[in-house]
Amino acid sequence: MRPVEAAIRDRAATATKPGAHDGGGGTVASAPTPRQEKAWRGLFRFRTPVRPDIELWVGIGAFAIVLGAWLLATESQLVQPQFLPSPLAVVEAWWGLFQNDYLSDIGISVGRVWIAFAASAVIAIPLGMLMSSYRAVGAFSEPLIDFVRYLPVPALVPLTLIWLGIGEGSKIALLWIGTFFQLVLLIADDARRVPKEFIETGRTLGAGDWALMKDVLFRAMLPSMVDSLRVTLGWCWTYLLIAEIVASNSGIGYELWTARRYGKTPEVFAGILTIGIIGLASDQLIRAGHRRAFRYLA
Amino acid sequence: MPSDDGFIEFQGVTKRFADHRGAAIDVVEPLTLSIARGEFVVFVGPSGCGKTTVMRMVGGLETPSEGAIMLQGREITGPSREKGMVFQAYSSFPWLTVLGNVRFGLRYRRDLTAVEKDRIARHYLDLVKLTPFADFYVNRISGGMRQRVAIARTLAADPLVLLMDEPFGALDALTRERLQLQLLELQKTERKTVIFVTHDVDEAVLLADRVIVFSARPARVLRDLRVGALLPAERSLDLQESATFRQLRQEVLALIRDEEERTEAAELAAAS
Repeated sequence: MRPVEAAIRDRAATATKPGAHDGGGGTVASAPTPRQEKAWRGLFRFRTPVRPDIELWVGIGAFAIVLGAWLLATESQLVQPQFLPSPLAVVEAWWGLFQNDYLSDIGISVGRVWIAFAASAVIAIPLGMLMSSYRAVGAFSEPLIDFVRYLPVPALVPLTLIWLGIGEGSKIALLWIGTFFQLVLLIADDARRVPKEFIETGRTLGAGDWALMKDVLFRAMLPSMVDSLRVTLGWCWTYLLIAEIVASNSGIGYELWTARRYGKTPEVFAGILTIGIIGLASDQLIRAGHRRAFRYLA
Repeated sequence: MPSDDGFIEFQGVTKRFADHRGAAIDVVEPLTLSIARGEFVVFVGPSGCGKTTVMRMVGGLETPSEGAIMLQGREITGPSREKGMVFQAYSSFPWLTVLGNVRFGLRYRRDLTAVEKDRIARHYLDLVKLTPFADFYVNRISGGMRQRVAIARTLAADPLVLLMDEPFGALDALTRERLQLQLLELQKTERKTVIFVTHDVDEAVLLADRVIVFSARPARVLRDLRVGALLPAERSLDLQESATFRQLRQEVLALIRDEEERTEAAELAAAS
């Protein structure tokens, strides 16, 4: 913001000195001309910050380019619509899906993600904090969690089906497994990164263990914890698709897989885009909330 | 021998740490020292000599390997509100306002009502002249103000001893001078027992009733200088121009320089 304001002010200053040229002669010519620079130039300079609205337009431009290339490819009939339907066909398919109660599918999928995610967060937050606070908890659970973390989630699908059947339970269990073990380690790391001075200050002001965790550790790690939650929420969506494709008769993943079975490529695209949009929207929402809630960091 | 009326008594205190191979490193040699109530004691010494470790043991944040430290005749076994601490960095909580930080010093006192806590917090905020900034988050105020917040918070908790670990070490020279004077000013009314660690010799002589010069690791008392008896009670920055001040400063500096040269020579010998 600053350089632009300065540039505008400089420009205004020169404009309000109309008499300068016919007056004093040589001295005026040697006065340094204010550097007026286009604000977007910074985009191409090494590690230079740029105005946020310029960045936003660049981001929108990226979407426009992809959409343009897509339109070009389909409208010129370079690609068969069976492989790549035109954007218009996708919008049409979308409309059709919504006519056919797509909203309840979205609702079901979002619900599954949030229930599973809430269930893993509710356990991962206190456990992660305890893991970083007491070596007994950390030494006991870290190797175990690390082991499970490296198991590929799809490999667990047969087990969840055997144990929990094809109902909601198995889907939520799969999502929970996919997120919990990652999240708990991230939370433990967030807690570990809290400066020891904060903890020691709390101690010397008379806080006990519980008070330290509640009033100091939790408060100090909260901003980075919310970031960890945001990242894992994204992973949760990945596993949702696996769960809904394998055994389900509702949800975004189910609709997507059904469309594939009947060769309805536009509907497949509509499904993929739906997930992308929900992901982008929830991510931006959490970011905005983060900025508001942790204004004290700015 | 420590006198019987010592407010803080170090009784043959040692500290050993284990290095990365598990071998023991002596950090503090048997230390016997007595600090009187209301005394402003400054620890100086070459960097890494163990002076901070000695202070942290008083705070209960480290445990002596041998010996004991007594505070008012009771052995120090862990951190508590009786031993207030001010750190160089991360001294105030960013998620709380200036007033919130000071009030945090009273948070775990059950003997006070919320109204009393508020009154005390505001009193100490006023004492460090930060009342106009009460509702600011600490990231909005300067580094010097943040250290004043930390001092106010620690005083509000009403500790028996105030431990300061290079509290002005990260500040620019002018801000540091201002805070040194403010601390002297505060000390006139509060009369706290203070242990102050610094590597700034001018700061040490200016603030102290008593400067304790430690040797290189393992820490041993090289000199116990009662500067309070030699300098006027009323301290100011002009004092730094006086002959006595300069002489004291030279004496301390010479001791530390010798130590640093000695360790460097020893390290060179060990490396070759």
